[in-house]
Amino acid sequence: MGDTKIFEDLVEFLKQKRDNVTFIDIIRLAEIASQSLQAFFTTFDATVYRELREIAGYIDAMRQEMGALQANEIKNSRIPAAGQELSEIVKATENATNTIMECAETLMAADASDPAAYKALVDEKMVLIFEACSFQDITGQRIAKVVEALQHIEERVARFATAMQAKDLDGFLTESERERAERKERLLLHGPQHEGKAIGQSDVDSLLTGKTAAA
Amino acid sequence: MAFDLSMPVLVVDDYNTMIRIIRNLLKQIGFQDIDDAADGSAALAKMREKKYGLVISDWNMEPMTGYELLKEVRSDPSLSKTPFIMVTAESKTENVIAAKKAGVNNYIVKPFNAQTLQSKIEAVFGE
Repeated sequence: MGDTKIFEDLVEFLKQKRDNVTFIDIIRLAEIASQSLQAFFTTFDATVYRELREIAGYIDAMRQEMGALQANEIKNSRIPAAGQELSEIVKATENATNTIMECAETLMAADASDPAAYKALVDEKMVLIFEACSFQDITGQRIAKVVEALQHIEERVARFATAMQAKDLDGFLTESERERAERKERLLLHGPQHEGKAIGQSDVDSLLTGKTAAA
Repeated sequence: MAFDLSMPVLVVDDYNTMIRIIRNLLKQIGFQDIDDAADGSAALAKMREKKYGLVISDWNMEPMTGYELLKEVRSDPSLSKTPFIMVTAESKTENVIAAKKAGVNNYIVKPFNAQTLQSKIEAVFGE
């Protein structure tokens, strides 16, 4: 109400005093303007203070959510550990494959003219093949650890995104991401498909001969 | 057989185990002269030094893919007639169509067995 009265006085003053403006008039005008601005700044201060408090609260909540994300633990511990497990899996499968293939190659090249010696060689290589196949148990356990790490990361990132009401930016974030995606698209690099999505050899044969369209 | 088992075969794959598997299967069929390369550009260099009777290539390799190798081979008059079989895990219709358009002679989806490899080689040579 006070603000309105001051404003009305100012309007009235400006309407009435068009000619012969005196020094007292100017002082009066300055007084009215000063009172008006004081009221404005009082309101402005309260609004800004409220908004700054909201921003401070948001920053505090964000800091807590970032702490809960455990980004450093993910970066320094979980991801390197998962990478190490995957590296061990590759090594184990490679070693097992090499052992099995060496056995197979030895048997293929073996002289079978002496049945007893050949049987002994086959037995020896079969034992090696069985032993090599034990990699599957170990790699299964390692894969379970990688899956657990991925689930841990997924849960925290999902919680963070929900708390921050995060919206994804369109497009690629880095030049290398854009280049990789462009290469994959241009060279049709899809990689192995899941069961049901991949076409089989008979579909491929049909496509090549043009007899039947594949699904 | 219509094809000559003494002809050189080039196996192109970036995974050493797969090269070893295909090499052994080819030996079982009767091929003896088998070379290998780890990607398309290495294969192209070998093909320009030696005349191969058959190329068996993976698709997904770096830096040059099998698809790029196929297109390079078909665009080079001195290599364009070389029979080319794609052996790959790329099992989408658009890959098969693209390979067919680029001039592939046959296309094998991984995982495959010895019989499939042999039958596709025979098909390429009109058996």
